[in-house]
Amino acid sequence: MTLRDLIVISTGNLWRMKLRAFLTISGILIAIAAFVSMLSFGAGNQEYISKQFNDLGLFSTMQVYPKNKTNGSDTSIFPVLDRVALDQIATVPGVNLVYPYDAFTVKVKLGDSLIDSKAQSLPSTAIRTKLFSKLRAGNAFESDSSRGVIISEELAKKAGFNSPDSVIGLPLVLSVRVSTIDSGLGHILVDRGESVMDRLKRIRFDSLLNSKYRTRVIRTEVNETVKRFLNGFMNAQEIISDTLTVCGVRELIPSGRLHIEPIIIPFTTATRFSTSGLGGSPMDIFAAMSSGNLFSQPEDKSGKTFSQVTVDLDPHVLYQTVKDSIEALGFRTFSFAEQFEEIQKAFFYFDLVLGVVGLIALITASLGIVNTMVMSITERKREIGVLKSLGAYELEIRSLFLVESGVIGLIGTIAGIFFGWLITRIVSAIAQMYMSKEGIPKMELFALPMWLILIALAVGVSVSVLAGFYPAARAAKVDPVEALRND
Amino acid sequence: MSANSWLCTIDLCRYYRRGPQEVRALDGVILAVERGEFLGIVGSSGSGKSTLLNLLAGLDTPTSGLVEFEQVPLTSMSRRQLAAYRAHKVGMVFQSFNLISHYTALQNVETALYFNGSSPKDRHRLAAAVLDRLGLDDRMTHRPADLSGGEQQRVAVARAIVKKPEILFADEPTGNLDYENAQQIASLLSSLNRDGLTIVMVTHNLEMAQQIADRTIRMQYGHVLDSGTEKPIGGKQR
Repeated sequence: MTLRDLIVISTGNLWRMKLRAFLTISGILIAIAAFVSMLSFGAGNQEYISKQFNDLGLFSTMQVYPKNKTNGSDTSIFPVLDRVALDQIATVPGVNLVYPYDAFTVKVKLGDSLIDSKAQSLPSTAIRTKLFSKLRAGNAFESDSSRGVIISEELAKKAGFNSPDSVIGLPLVLSVRVSTIDSGLGHILVDRGESVMDRLKRIRFDSLLNSKYRTRVIRTEVNETVKRFLNGFMNAQEIISDTLTVCGVRELIPSGRLHIEPIIIPFTTATRFSTSGLGGSPMDIFAAMSSGNLFSQPEDKSGKTFSQVTVDLDPHVLYQTVKDSIEALGFRTFSFAEQFEEIQKAFFYFDLVLGVVGLIALITASLGIVNTMVMSITERKREIGVLKSLGAYELEIRSLFLVESGVIGLIGTIAGIFFGWLITRIVSAIAQMYMSKEGIPKMELFALPMWLILIALAVGVSVSVLAGFYPAARAAKVDPVEALRND
Repeated sequence: MSANSWLCTIDLCRYYRRGPQEVRALDGVILAVERGEFLGIVGSSGSGKSTLLNLLAGLDTPTSGLVEFEQVPLTSMSRRQLAAYRAHKVGMVFQSFNLISHYTALQNVETALYFNGSSPKDRHRLAAAVLDRLGLDDRMTHRPADLSGGEQQRVAVARAIVKKPEILFADEPTGNLDYENAQQIASLLSSLNRDGLTIVMVTHNLEMAQQIADRTIRMQYGHVLDSGTEKPIGGKQR
């Protein structure tokens, strides 16, 4: 008896018991449809995130940071991220490009709006990497000394330009308030008309032998000195302005560890702002303090350190190899590819939970198969006896019923996959309508990849065949003498 | 009779347990069937003749004793070998026809060829040829319910002989038929035997057995009353 014979006989038997077969198949169909639509939701989200990561070039991007100092007295074991370090990282195999994150606070005048924002400088080579290549309008700047500037879509909207195209070619006035250490030190000597000599004159030197007086004087003068420095540093700021032209509007990129600022200025053009001193905001000062740049000379670019650099990777080289090489240089790294692996793990567990729920439904439906097959055996006892008298071996009888269960499973699974897909299309259409109405960017919530179809087929047919094992074993054990006995 | 017979039983016993009672369906049956022979087994209900037929066909297992086919004891065969024995060597005809009700006459006959390795094309050709030979060419697509008793039994005979078995076991083949149809089936079996097919037929109709069998034996309470080895009880009419 060939498999073809078994399938022909099985389908014939199912066709004969149409209603019963239909009801049993429907159970499998519903379970598989639930299984497929649930896993399709997981697959759709996974596919969407994967596409987003890929489109943004996040798989080929790595962030590098200096290591945190755990022991303040030992600085030698944690190299700083300076120009020398950048050059070193650039030589690591698999690294296409290295550029620092160099940002500062700016006041922007775009159209009639005056907005407080942040800007960062970027080499023209970096602007052409995948990470920055998604422009809603205009083009990237051509060179590091270009007068063009790329702004975010969000900034354009803030300035009242809802259409990205309408902002291209408009002048953008950038103003940076710069604090210098010199002004801070100058204010220690003279602050609000009072010189340091005036303060010294007030001290009663003969009383300094008195410890209480001495302590009070020291505390007062130190406080006053710090106050004078900060007053000079914070308030006596220089304002540097420049007018650039908006050449591109970039898509909104999810923030987080990427640190892409609303304004991107060509590297050389930005030198004027970034090397003139510290930004006026307290955050800039704290950032400078933490990176060790507070008292460095602004013009001394080689000595400048960065809190973060971005590495553009060769997509053909494993990120792990590059990561190991950079970490061997003494830096911390963060890679989105690594984060994606974590996301994938989370999706795996998510899919697993959905799959188990679907499987429970399928197992419940498989009880229907057991019931159908057991009833079928009771009704077809004489037929089994006839087949045995004609020379059917037990294995063939067992196979006949297993194939019958398998055919129920196969038909139910194929129909279930189709209905599962249909459900996802309906839900997706409703979701898209809602997204469109709410102004949320449209995204496809579901996906039906080939692996999901194959898994559904394998699971559906396997569970159905397993459900047929007990009835098939019963059928194989039917005593032909008993079955053929005349009533 | 000898132990070297083509098909024989040696001290064959088959006991059943029915509640606390032991039923001795067969008790020490010794029998031999020669190739080409038409053996009739006659007995009243409960004499053990159908049990004997089931044991000879390898459908049942003896409590003790042996059934030997071509000097090979059926009890020494594995279940797969027994299935092969039934698939290739044995054909069976039953009193209640035992046709599969949802199959056509042709499909019922084809079913016998599922287990002897025939190809689908051969199955169809052979089944159609046998039905044609038995005068059922216009009944091939009919289901058993649409056939008369005689036609159903002819389909059952066609199913039994389509695989060209070496021996045909017929269990009360005319038991459910009227006189005319019974005569037709008897004539058909006789004709098949003339063509060389060995037949063992169980019946309670002594007259018919004597009419068509080479040799007739009688059974009662699980025993063979007379073996009829040398001389048939009745003369075979050909």
